[in-house]
Amino acid sequence: VGQPSKATLLAAHALSHVDALYAFAWRLARDGAIADDLVQETFARCMSHSDRFEEGTNLKAWLFRILRNLFFDLRRRENRYLPDTLIESESASLSAPDVLRGDPEIARLKNLVAADIDAALQALTDDQRTVVLLDLEGFSEREIADVMTCAPGTVKSRLARARAALREKLWEYAT
Amino acid sequence: MNCEQARTLLLDDARGTLDPERARALREHLDSCAVCSNVAAQERVVSELLRTRLTPMAAPAALRNALAQQVASALTGEAGDAERAALPARAASELAFDELPRRKSASAAPGRRRAWLSMATAATVALGVSLYIARRDGSDQLLREARNDHLRVLYSEHPVEIPNGGIHQVKPWFSGRVDFAPDISFAGDDDFPMLGGAVGYFMDRKAANFIFKRRLHTISLFVFREQGLDWPDGATRQIGPVTAHVATLDGFNLLLWRERGLGHALVSDASTDELVKLCAKLNE
Repeated sequence: VGQPSKATLLAAHALSHVDALYAFAWRLARDGAIADDLVQETFARCMSHSDRFEEGTNLKAWLFRILRNLFFDLRRRENRYLPDTLIESESASLSAPDVLRGDPEIARLKNLVAADIDAALQALTDDQRTVVLLDLEGFSEREIADVMTCAPGTVKSRLARARAALREKLWEYAT
Repeated sequence: MNCEQARTLLLDDARGTLDPERARALREHLDSCAVCSNVAAQERVVSELLRTRLTPMAAPAALRNALAQQVASALTGEAGDAERAALPARAASELAFDELPRRKSASAAPGRRRAWLSMATAATVALGVSLYIARRDGSDQLLREARNDHLRVLYSEHPVEIPNGGIHQVKPWFSGRVDFAPDISFAGDDDFPMLGGAVGYFMDRKAANFIFKRRLHTISLFVFREQGLDWPDGATRQIGPVTAHVATLDGFNLLLWRERGLGHALVSDASTDELVKLCAKLNE
């Protein structure tokens, strides 16, 4: 008697991830009100679907997965979601010859400010941005695959392609 | 190893998570491929940029508090008063999930122990709503909120809802949108042009945002009802008729002052001296 439920305990623990969830939501949706809704709804789902959380797995990754799914549902409703497999540029080979950049040029890249990096991230596709952000959060490849519902074996190349795209966007701001 | 394989291993290599055999194969490829080794050098800079320059974002205080209260009321609803003291310990033993293993710091054993501790902390924090809010809503919170609101202005696609066609256009625009009349009569000048205004939130209340420029810097002015807010108690400075609190947070300079029941926060990466000049103009 008086034992807190699993749902409440999960939500209590989830409180320590509010900032990370909000930042993820904001960078996906680029809108404070939507980010707010996404985080609130993530908490609601966390409590109502607590039976689906597997003990011993990463709670933060589970929360990110809920939030990512909510965001993509929203995008689909707006008909704005295009999976990367449908986007031609995505299939470009990773080994496509890059431009060789000299040291002075690379040094210029170091002068980019937060706003440039944010803008470059925004210029990526939803999937590209997601994989870069999840990697930055420190999730493992398996966890990223769980969040993005893709095969773990594809995470490395997805990430490499997304980073290549990000690099090219950053060069646009650095030159 | 071909270029495509090499490129997918660059991040792992930089993080030292490649097995020795693949690391050696990658090394050999990079030694013989000028393009891939150049890409590796670029990738190192991109990693550094993402790690050090990406703007830290925090959830708005109103959202954080709303969630904490939801959790707290669920907890108190489920646990009797007498049992509260013992709850965190039991809460922690009931569930065992590991905290996210951080790539560098958490490689060793304390993972589980920390998960245990942070679980206990989360439950304790959620239990004492008043305590939580008292701590979160400290004067520091006010500064952090102002900083975060300014970041939202900086990275918003439409920071300005009403472009500046003179203060006589901007000020009336707020009536009906916020529940007070912003006491701003400075319409901007050559040194501090006003871009316009927008409605935002400051903590749990509506705010009138005015956006100014100083050369390349964006300056946000937030005007909001100050009632019930925990005002900072740090350094102050007399600027004309007002006593302003001066603070710096994560590279942003802040000036906060109260006047006739309204709180005002100026936030920018422009220098404090510039903010003082603008504050003086606003209070002329």
